[in-house]
Amino acid sequence: MSGGGSQAMHFKARAGDKLADRILQGALKKAQPLFTAKRRKGMASLAADGLDFAAMRAAAQAIRQRVLDDLDVWLEIFEARAVAAGADVLWARDGAEAARLIVELAQREGVRTVTKSKSMLSEEAGLNAALTAAGIRPVETDLGEYIVQLAQEPPSHIIAPAVHKTIAQVEALFAEAHGRPQQARTSADIPKMADEARQVLRRDFLAADMGISGANFLIAETGSAALVTNEGNGRMVTTLPRLHVVLTGIEKLVPTLEDFATLMRILPRSATGQDISNYVSLLTGTRRDGDLDGPQKTVFVLVDNGRAGLLGGAFEPMLRCIRCGACMNHCPVYFALGGHAYGWVYPGPMGSVLTPLYTGLENALDLPHASTGCNQCGSVCPVGIPLPDLLHGLREAQNARGLRPPGERLTMRLWGWLARHPRSYRLLTRLAARYLHWLGDDDAAGRRIRIFGLAPAWTAGRDLPVGPGRSFFEQYAARKRD
Amino acid sequence: MRVALYVTCLVDLMRPAIGFAALRLIEACGCDVVVPPAQTCCGQPAWSAGNRPLAIELARKAIGELENYDAIVVPSGSCADQIRNVYPQLLADQPAWAERARRVAGNCRELTTFLHEMLRSTAEIPDFPGEFAGRATYHDACKGLRALGIKEQPRELLARVRGLTLHEMDECEACCGFGGAFSVRFADVSTRIVDDKCAAIARTGADAVIGGDLGCLLNIEGRLRRLGDETTRVLHIAEVLAGGDES
Repeated sequence: MSGGGSQAMHFKARAGDKLADRILQGALKKAQPLFTAKRRKGMASLAADGLDFAAMRAAAQAIRQRVLDDLDVWLEIFEARAVAAGADVLWARDGAEAARLIVELAQREGVRTVTKSKSMLSEEAGLNAALTAAGIRPVETDLGEYIVQLAQEPPSHIIAPAVHKTIAQVEALFAEAHGRPQQARTSADIPKMADEARQVLRRDFLAADMGISGANFLIAETGSAALVTNEGNGRMVTTLPRLHVVLTGIEKLVPTLEDFATLMRILPRSATGQDISNYVSLLTGTRRDGDLDGPQKTVFVLVDNGRAGLLGGAFEPMLRCIRCGACMNHCPVYFALGGHAYGWVYPGPMGSVLTPLYTGLENALDLPHASTGCNQCGSVCPVGIPLPDLLHGLREAQNARGLRPPGERLTMRLWGWLARHPRSYRLLTRLAARYLHWLGDDDAAGRRIRIFGLAPAWTAGRDLPVGPGRSFFEQYAARKRD
Repeated sequence: MRVALYVTCLVDLMRPAIGFAALRLIEACGCDVVVPPAQTCCGQPAWSAGNRPLAIELARKAIGELENYDAIVVPSGSCADQIRNVYPQLLADQPAWAERARRVAGNCRELTTFLHEMLRSTAEIPDFPGEFAGRATYHDACKGLRALGIKEQPRELLARVRGLTLHEMDECEACCGFGGAFSVRFADVSTRIVDDKCAAIARTGADAVIGGDLGCLLNIEGRLRRLGDETTRVLHIAEVLAGGDES
């Protein structure tokens, strides 16, 4: 497994930075209601089509689970069909190997410019850095990815990579990269700015020798890659260059086109609220005789990077994920911080599960705890992944491996002892109730503590309302005596 | 009907009035209420921290104390979820305990769910004594809403309170950012989340925000006060329904 460049151990510190970043906070506050409104619209259209979310989710979950139950078999079928259609299939144990395979292929083929459409696996593999180091120029062509590439940042969201950027920030990046003076921009200028990026990217679309895309799904029965996009860049990347590389994870398989159609009813609606995305491409094999476009060579690079290790275990449900982003779009923690706080490739609830699993439990200790347990994620997941349960499973795994800090373990032991010994517990709560009351100040709105030495974190941003100085059980015992 | 009141550790320590209000409400339904004397904490903090062995020990302790009643009522969706949904899961593979855990889980009700069921099944229950002159808004606590399906119950109960008008806030189902240990471990993130909740409450112009879980209420009240709001009352639904400040 490779967790190259993971900063997930610094979640807490990064969270503090993100909370203090007022520009970021503004961008997130603006985006959150838009994201939730989109899914709401998607669910309304599902209902208008006479489809029930719970039933669709059960069907989608069953399709994904069927693949995972016999993943090796489906992969063999996929490989045979893809090869029969004229493609090559390469296997990579981890991200580093995937990057090496692609760089070697590019070098063999004399590639100088690579256009890319969105692929999160490319982030797992650190592919852009590997290509650049080999003297090959990668160009991100998804608008959001293009923006974060200009900013030299990783994406902060799996389907909206630049959601953390404001229009002013994008304008500054464009002005510098495109060699023009900066202008005042509003949201009305977005189409104009997108068009500007299009004009710049056109040159690269035409010049590129290799296109690299991800795949939303791999279809076993036809050996195809399915691509779900909105900007059209995916088509340019996969049809114009003479070489097309599909880089994706081994878990992205679905058995049949029929299954793909079922999943397509729920994927765009969960992600962007659309009934269907602007473009849906099914890419099979290479350019055939008489075709006007299409690659002369198609290579699938299918990556494990920790996935096979999850099969058959407690965390297998995570492999059902279809990368819609609904979990992060409905996560209070994600929208408090944005995606970069999470420190590796995947943010939000799905990222808090995947990062420790793919990069090592000990390298992402905070992430399984970076959840209020609200289950807003689990309730919107279109493939029924019980995200809070999986986060909880990771917490138990941390405990089982002795990875929790000694102070926390000691506190838990003392508290656990007290909770099992009611007499001592009563005595302590009696004292604690008095102590808390004594610490508090009275005013019109009640009694409260403004600075609490035992839990200073709580009172850093909040008061602590306190009770009357006598616990329930103390008062109840007194009443019984009367 | 013999009912055990599970007070919860937070109510015991931080706001006993909720416990006494719950007690009066259950009695008003014609039940005999017992407060099992050895109860401490349901063990959710241990479970939530990933400490399964301790969570199991505390589950067994609570089951032993709660199994001889017709119903167990808890003025918290979060603790009720622990007893109803987590206990059976924790003890599923322990033959001596699995059935006992399931029985206790089946008898356990969050307070508003219990009151709502009682009102539906018995015609003779008089109105609850609580009165509230003013506008109120209701915060749906996460565990209650998403794990126990508590949505209409508190609203139907509040609709019976004289003088109270309910004005829903935006995103009333969104988390307030409490999350137990989360509120201390990531206090700054928690505070950022509760800011959205406070803003939504303020937009309703409500005189009071009402909820069914003291954890959320301490978080919301603590932040409202820190932001300088000295007037919006933050109340547990038991306090509103039972009326009359005691203790």
